[in-house]
Amino acid sequence: MIKLNELTKIYRTDEVESTALNAVSFEINKGEFVSIMGPSGCGKSTLLNILGMLDKPESGSYEFLGNEVAHLKEKGRSDVRKKNIGFIFQNFNLIDELTVFENIELPLLYNKVPASERKQRVNQLMEQIGIAHRASHFPQQLSGGQQQRVAVARALITKPPLILADEPTGNLDSSHGNEVMELICDLHEAGTTIIMVTHSSHDASYSDRIINLLDGQIVSEKKNKLVKAAI
Amino acid sequence: MFKNYIKVAFRSLNKNRTYAIINILGLALGLAVTILVFMFIKDETSYEKHWNGYERVYRTGIKASVMGQTMDAPVSPSPMANAFRTEFTDVETATRINTVKQEIMVRYEQTKVYIQKAVHADSTFFKIFDYEFVHGDPKTALVGENSIVLTEESARKVFGDVNPIGKIVKYDNRQDYIVKGIVKEPKGHSHFQFDMFMSRNTIRNYWMSNGQYTYVKLKEGVDANAFLTKMRSNFMKKIEPDVERFLGTTVAELFKGESFYEYQIIPLKDIHLHSIKEMEIQQNGNIMYIYVFIGIALLVILIAGINFMNLSTARAGKRAKEVGVRKVSGASKKMLVTQFLTESVIQSFIALFLAFVLVELFLPGFNNILETELYLFNSHIIETVVFSLIVTLFYGLFAGSYPAFFLSSFQPISVLKGDVTKTNGGALLRKILVITQFTASTILIIGMIIIFQQISFLHNKDIGFKGDQVIVVPIQSDPMAKKFRNYKSVFLKNSNVVSVTRASFYPGDKPNQNMYLLEGSKDQLPLWNMDVDYDFFKTLDIKMLDGRKFDREKESDSIPYFILNETAVKNFNIQNAVGRKLSINQGSSDNTNYGNIIGVVKDFHIQGFNSEIRPMVLTISNDLWFASFKIANEDMTSTIDYIEKEWSKLEPSHPFRYTFLDQKFGKLLRQQENFGAMFLFLTILAIIISAMGLYGLASYTAAQRTKEIGIRKVLGASVPEVMRMLTKDFMKLVLVANIFAWPITYLLAKNWLSNFSYQIDMPILPYVFATLLALIIALITVSFQAYKAAISDPVDALKYE
Repeated sequence: MIKLNELTKIYRTDEVESTALNAVSFEINKGEFVSIMGPSGCGKSTLLNILGMLDKPESGSYEFLGNEVAHLKEKGRSDVRKKNIGFIFQNFNLIDELTVFENIELPLLYNKVPASERKQRVNQLMEQIGIAHRASHFPQQLSGGQQQRVAVARALITKPPLILADEPTGNLDSSHGNEVMELICDLHEAGTTIIMVTHSSHDASYSDRIINLLDGQIVSEKKNKLVKAAI
Repeated sequence: MFKNYIKVAFRSLNKNRTYAIINILGLALGLAVTILVFMFIKDETSYEKHWNGYERVYRTGIKASVMGQTMDAPVSPSPMANAFRTEFTDVETATRINTVKQEIMVRYEQTKVYIQKAVHADSTFFKIFDYEFVHGDPKTALVGENSIVLTEESARKVFGDVNPIGKIVKYDNRQDYIVKGIVKEPKGHSHFQFDMFMSRNTIRNYWMSNGQYTYVKLKEGVDANAFLTKMRSNFMKKIEPDVERFLGTTVAELFKGESFYEYQIIPLKDIHLHSIKEMEIQQNGNIMYIYVFIGIALLVILIAGINFMNLSTARAGKRAKEVGVRKVSGASKKMLVTQFLTESVIQSFIALFLAFVLVELFLPGFNNILETELYLFNSHIIETVVFSLIVTLFYGLFAGSYPAFFLSSFQPISVLKGDVTKTNGGALLRKILVITQFTASTILIIGMIIIFQQISFLHNKDIGFKGDQVIVVPIQSDPMAKKFRNYKSVFLKNSNVVSVTRASFYPGDKPNQNMYLLEGSKDQLPLWNMDVDYDFFKTLDIKMLDGRKFDREKESDSIPYFILNETAVKNFNIQNAVGRKLSINQGSSDNTNYGNIIGVVKDFHIQGFNSEIRPMVLTISNDLWFASFKIANEDMTSTIDYIEKEWSKLEPSHPFRYTFLDQKFGKLLRQQENFGAMFLFLTILAIIISAMGLYGLASYTAAQRTKEIGIRKVLGASVPEVMRMLTKDFMKLVLVANIFAWPITYLLAKNWLSNFSYQIDMPILPYVFATLLALIIALITVSFQAYKAAISDPVDALKYE
């Protein structure tokens, strides 16, 4: 599904140039659950941003579903992203002025889905995720775990083939964190491709494959022999 | 989709209430000002448009310079209207009127009523000015020499509910008139307002005396310029015989040098705003005020718009996360721009609603100052509403565009990771906007002070006579006029009556003008006549420069005696006027009766400050119709009562009326004062809006620098030091604003002052004062926020990160 070849990203300020990603190459297949790990500053978030087409690489190629997308303009990237990628962030990133229902509904609005269909899909997903009882509440009124569940629902509402998760449990305590990981595993079992950036080896152990980054380069890749099964 | 935008817009406003209020209130004020100015302008430009065929009506006038004396007035000679009607095929009709300069008593049976604005008009008057007749026929109402038409209100005053048609009234105790018509008040504004119309159709075939007003209505399709040429060539032939008779020369000779005599026409609809000459029927408006008010309204709305832009972009950081999330969720830049524009348009319409409330609140005061009668639901209401909607929409889109584009350009990655504080883009633009705001405010402050200085200069200018504690009483009957000089002692019995005199007219009135010959020279000059009695100079405290005042002992009744004013002497170009002889030009040289010039009086104003003083000659007479009494300062009311009591014994046929002389004169200044008051109001508004904007910005900046403040405090900075740091930048901006404001104001002020014949020198003080004021206002506004930030706990500040 994803093919990166010699992907490079350089950050420039007036005086300093730093190479965030240095000719990174790898492939990810449909349905895989991959974790990207590494210390602070190794380039994982940058990699995730490029994978999610939120940023453009300096050079190299990025094939997504068979199409070269590395140097698309913002409109092009936005179109591909809209239909194919869902995001889960560490700090949830919900819109405070919208209710739970409206937050989840947002991607459907931008995809021009008609109102009745939106209502049906959002309600269904809220039931699935287990936050339907909080539909008309605002993010400030929810606990961290509940907020992340809303964020996950938002990421899923368009049924994207790819989910990108950036430290999804970073702001959660262990029990809530586990809940979210269970959700993500369920998705994986349903066939969604998942790429997750994480510090936590506990979380990484849920995935099929772990890629280790250091200073912008892949240092190792290993298959996960011990996959924690859902309870 | 829009529902989502609207929902978010309202919730966002609610969440940031302080900023929402600042924005909306500032905008509402700006819109209210715009609406008020629009209403005023609509009103001012609507004059005369209710008359049928008004586009084809013109008023005549004369611009002349004869032997150094200039005249530029909308007056015409008696035979002109008739000449229009009979000699020009391009003319549909013409009419002639002569206004009555003071109130007139009208008597019907036992009722005596004073009518303020009477006019003599010929029979075609209602063909041009189509008043709506309640009773009577416009075609015949003013035929003959003793027909009278009254307005409904005047009729009610005189006749009560009785149908007045056919009834006879006595006009000024002199003449009987038959009531031939009753008219409604006209539906629109006009440059004249009349309560009563008396027919006058006789023509005095003398072309050189201009005391009437003539209006001509051209046929459709006639070109006014071509008509003017025809008119001029026709009329210049008409004045030839009179020029020969009275000036002893031919037209060609007379206009060889610098002299000229030019007939003019002005379109009826332009009179109110563009005709500012002497001898207007009543004081007109002035197109200059329209321009100034438009300018101010634009400034105020600019300031409010800048606030909006500034606050929105400053607070962009708070919305950045939302922008990022929406982009990640699939929003395109266009969608985001639409969203933010919707928000600003919503704010604008909320402000519009508030603006209408403010307009209702401000209107009474506004009407008071400008002497208008505007109200929202008048005939222009639809235009006003449409205009307001367009302005609001335009405003919301325009002021909202910059923030909208700025916000929607945020890149998702930078904002989603919390790098919001780094997005301080637009700081330079914000500075420019603040400078623009304060430049505008400073210009207004300086302008306001200069206006008030000019007005009080005029107020305090030496007018040449002392009008305080002087009341003017018109004499209404012949016997009173003839015997008045014997009655003076009756009034003087009251020790509070200091002095009594009479004159042929008073300030604000229109004097007569005649040609005068100086013996021994070929020069003839037009001079204003003023007839007075022996106590005139004493009562009004008018100073002599040379020679002596009129003296009963020294003079015989057979020889005329003259006193000239300074300007007359200057115009005659003679060194010593006293002792020379002067005569009125009677038309034929054998009737010249020379009299002695016995004195020269210091110039005094008659026509209000804005006209130059004219050359004047004073003579003694008994045929004087304005009495004036100088009374002592104490017990003025009882003194006036005494005068009234004694007067009524002497002139029982007419009720006693009086005005204060200085009030009569003061009325002439009224328009300038109103303008000044309006300017003040708008300036204060502009300052309030600017201060609000600055307040908003300052609080944002303080919040931005919380971390920096925390660190500085930990390192030892004191509260005053922190405050100084926060206010310094804003003070610099205000100073820069002043650097721009000074030259701009200088140019504008110089231009405005040049409208006055008597103007102050450009003062320095207002500039300095305005700068200081702007700095103080800015300082106070910003300090409040700075203080709050400076006393906060460093711990809170550092935890922020």
